[in-house]
Amino acid sequence: MTDTQYLLSDAEVARFIVSGYHLLEPELPAGLNESIAQKLDALETNPGDAITEAVPEIWQVLDHSQVKGVLVSLLGPDYQVQSHRHWHCKQPGSGYMQWHQDGLNNRDLHLNHFLGLYYPRAVSAEMGPTIIVPGTQYRNAPTDRMATYTNIRGQVPLVVKAGTLAFTHYDLWHGTGANRSSVKRHMIKFLFRRTRPNTAPTWNHDPAALNNPHDWNTRDQAEDVNNILTFTNPLRVSQSDHYKERSIRRECWNDLMGRTA
Amino acid sequence: MSEVPPRQRLLYLHARTPSVFSEVLGLTLIEPVAGFRVEISAEEPQWPYKTVHEAVVEGWQIVQFPYLQAPFDDRDLDVIGYEFILQKMEVVQ
Repeated sequence: MTDTQYLLSDAEVARFIVSGYHLLEPELPAGLNESIAQKLDALETNPGDAITEAVPEIWQVLDHSQVKGVLVSLLGPDYQVQSHRHWHCKQPGSGYMQWHQDGLNNRDLHLNHFLGLYYPRAVSAEMGPTIIVPGTQYRNAPTDRMATYTNIRGQVPLVVKAGTLAFTHYDLWHGTGANRSSVKRHMIKFLFRRTRPNTAPTWNHDPAALNNPHDWNTRDQAEDVNNILTFTNPLRVSQSDHYKERSIRRECWNDLMGRTA
Repeated sequence: MSEVPPRQRLLYLHARTPSVFSEVLGLTLIEPVAGFRVEISAEEPQWPYKTVHEAVVEGWQIVQFPYLQAPFDDRDLDVIGYEFILQKMEVVQ
């Protein structure tokens, strides 16, 4: 049973639906992140899915109450940590990586699976951070269609503290910067998936939170579900696209509320 | 002494709408220099032009106007913005 204090709020769930990511800095035991980073530094080959056998301390991260709180909130209490995982070591001197999606474009308008990116060592802008484009997760745009984009307004480099987890929608556009530092940038990618549909909210839901009327004055600064889903426009896209996004967000929210189960 | 010929500089601008006055959401500049590579920036990127029109004022010529994302679909989303491709023929050392 997950301690409810670690579950997400209505606004946090709505922001994940809109932006496609959530950052968490769990309060991990002292020294754990650096211990994991040093073990990764010493690996000579990439063990693939067996990275958690090569560095078993990683399970302490996945089993942390704050991490579980996010996963239960977004995927339900029976979420599954999938067997595929991958250690991404960005070596000093390595170049940038173009925008892409992992695998095929899935276009799942319901929240049934997503990625967890764990950074055991602090990442600076010079270390080749992952760079994401919030709000791109519902776009039916396979990787080839992204080839003529370089910098996109609203892109966010994941310049993070040691121990940060970035939960990212599976279809979120992402790439990396170049690593111009002398330090290896480590990231371990996990996949999480839902095993059954929601019949009710699985986060800290307050039914009254849905009652706020539209507020045309706060717009992108909204703090409540209705206004976050309606007004947030992280890509600053056109009215046509924004209206389509609103429809998709509502469908996703209603599914998480258990209304379509 | 032979004259150095001009070369084609390319500018991809992804605008909010098909209007040249709409805001630029994405920008890729390609210089005609051997080994040149574009790169996503982990720092705050430079945005020399806020609109396609600003680039035209600076002498860029539009060589391809955006494909209007047909077939029309009133529910689906695809690429970000509308792609204008511009060029400037200049002598590049």
